Amino acid sequence: MSTLLTIWKKELRDAIRDKRSVLAAMSYAFFGPALMAVAFFFLISQLTDKEDIGINIHGADAAPEFVQYLNQQGIVEREKPWPSGTTPIDLTIPASWDEDLRQGSPVELTLKADWSAQKQQSDLERVEQAIRSYGSQIAAFRLLTRGIDPRVVTPLQVNKQDLATRGSKAALIMGSVLVFILMSVFWSGMNVAIDISAGERERHSLEFLLTQPTSSFNIVTGKALAASTFALFGALLTLVIVPGVFAFVPLSKIGMSLSFAPHMLLTMWLLLVPLALLAAALQLFVSFRAKNFKEAQTYISFLLIVPMAAAFGVEFAKVKTPALFYLPLTGQHQAFLSMIRGEDVNWQAALICSVITLAAAIGLYRVIAKMLRSEKTVFGL
Amino acid sequence: MIDVQQLSKSFKTVKALDELSFTAADGEITGLLGPNGAGKTTCLRIIYGLLKADTGTAKIQGINASVEPIEARKQLGIFPDKFGLYERLTAREQVRYFGELQGLTGAKLTNSVSEVIERLKMNDIADRRSAGFSQGQRMKVALAQAMVHQPGHLILDEPSRGLDVMSTRILRDMLRELRAQGTCILFSSHVMQEVAALCDRVVVMAKGKVAAVGSPTELCELTGESALEDAFVKIIGSDEGIAA
Repeated sequence: MSTLLTIWKKELRDAIRDKRSVLAAMSYAFFGPALMAVAFFFLISQLTDKEDIGINIHGADAAPEFVQYLNQQGIVEREKPWPSGTTPIDLTIPASWDEDLRQGSPVELTLKADWSAQKQQSDLERVEQAIRSYGSQIAAFRLLTRGIDPRVVTPLQVNKQDLATRGSKAALIMGSVLVFILMSVFWSGMNVAIDISAGERERHSLEFLLTQPTSSFNIVTGKALAASTFALFGALLTLVIVPGVFAFVPLSKIGMSLSFAPHMLLTMWLLLVPLALLAAALQLFVSFRAKNFKEAQTYISFLLIVPMAAAFGVEFAKVKTPALFYLPLTGQHQAFLSMIRGEDVNWQAALICSVITLAAAIGLYRVIAKMLRSEKTVFGL
Repeated sequence: MIDVQQLSKSFKTVKALDELSFTAADGEITGLLGPNGAGKTTCLRIIYGLLKADTGTAKIQGINASVEPIEARKQLGIFPDKFGLYERLTAREQVRYFGELQGLTGAKLTNSVSEVIERLKMNDIADRRSAGFSQGQRMKVALAQAMVHQPGHLILDEPSRGLDVMSTRILRDMLRELRAQGTCILFSSHVMQEVAALCDRVVVMAKGKVAAVGSPTELCELTGESALEDAFVKIIGSDEGIAA
């Protein structure tokens, strides 16, 4: 036990003096949220943009009043050329507009566009909305001239707001923030983990360390604790900085609020502790197998993709199975999700998940310790 | 005392050790002399338990390192084939770290560290970070790490490689001093002068086998040569004549 602490203290001191490790742990927390905030800032301003929409209007002469109405709604004849790669939005008004209206038969307008284009989604929505509302105005007039209250044909007043796209954007933002927080434990301790395993081998100090009268489990655990300490330091910074940065993002514009109470942040951090221990175990497992720092870095970058893919996959594929509450990473993710939504957290599941995560970490320490007793791994035979 | 009996070890198709047997007594310096690739490092690694022998045993004070590695290593001070320093730690911090791993604590730890630094005359570098140390300074730190806990047995794998005359002298003086205190010292080398100057007994190794054993003078007499180098070449070269 005391050798474990000795190793932990030494590795920590060594890592703190390593500018690269410290910088790596802090850069994630400092630059990540800022970058994300900027991205969301633009996403939101794009979503809530009320600038005029320029579209191609063919046959405007046939229906000057309708075109004027569209102009009032911010939909105007396009003057600038369409950027390459963008499908133009084309509205064609038939020459028979007046004729059709007089006869009371539907006017066939043609709206040509690419509905799958993410950027044009809200533009199209507004164009359609404007056309619909002009149509219902005409309908109302027709009813009025026949002495009927137009309200009889709209028994249900739907106050439709453009929440469909905003809702999904809000989920995207929230999900990304959570995944970002989760990933902090994988990212911040990474450099330390590589340095104390593959780096130790590269510097030729591993052989001497292994000839000391202490069990390889102590060595592995001491090293993993040092890497986890860095990971948790990075996670703490992230948790402190994220709410601060997001205070500047106009989330309320899309009807969304992210509130991080101090006790919630603390709970999140505590839930990250076992995850950090597991992250360190995974990283040590991989980089003890590498011959040098560079090789370990390559493997670990692949390793980073796994939790990221898992977290994003669960987040956006909307996978729903109870197992998610208990598995490492997804369990913490689910707990965070409940917290951030202000729902009741399934504490029992969160606790079980923490125990499972911790058990997985310790199991991996044992595997690595066994690896270090094998001459194949130590000398790369 | 280090007792090696019938050690054999193969790496895939290469036979590194072939029924190697010898002993290294307390209060003596035993040299393991052999050309490159003779199996010296493999033999030492088996003694301190990082490699497992296919057959045979290596015992330190009667403790087999492949059975009780931790107990065996407590008896040992090791100067490995390749030693790297922790460049961001000072020499004193490194020596202290290994002292702690050897189980020293409190005042005893602090005293042992200061003592070994004093003995190796490395006070001038003790509180400097080891990045940028010269080869001689590195050797001193590695030696200090190996002997901070005052082990009864010292195993050194080619300790003098890359050292200048002054550093080699410090190393030799140190080893003689430890021998006088009754330490069992086993070291490998392919440098003849060093072995001749230092060793009480020489174990000449070739192709994983013991080719000859004896004091430097005995080996010279055995081969009828006046210089150990010639004796060595003769032993290695004609293994059916003398090694049998």
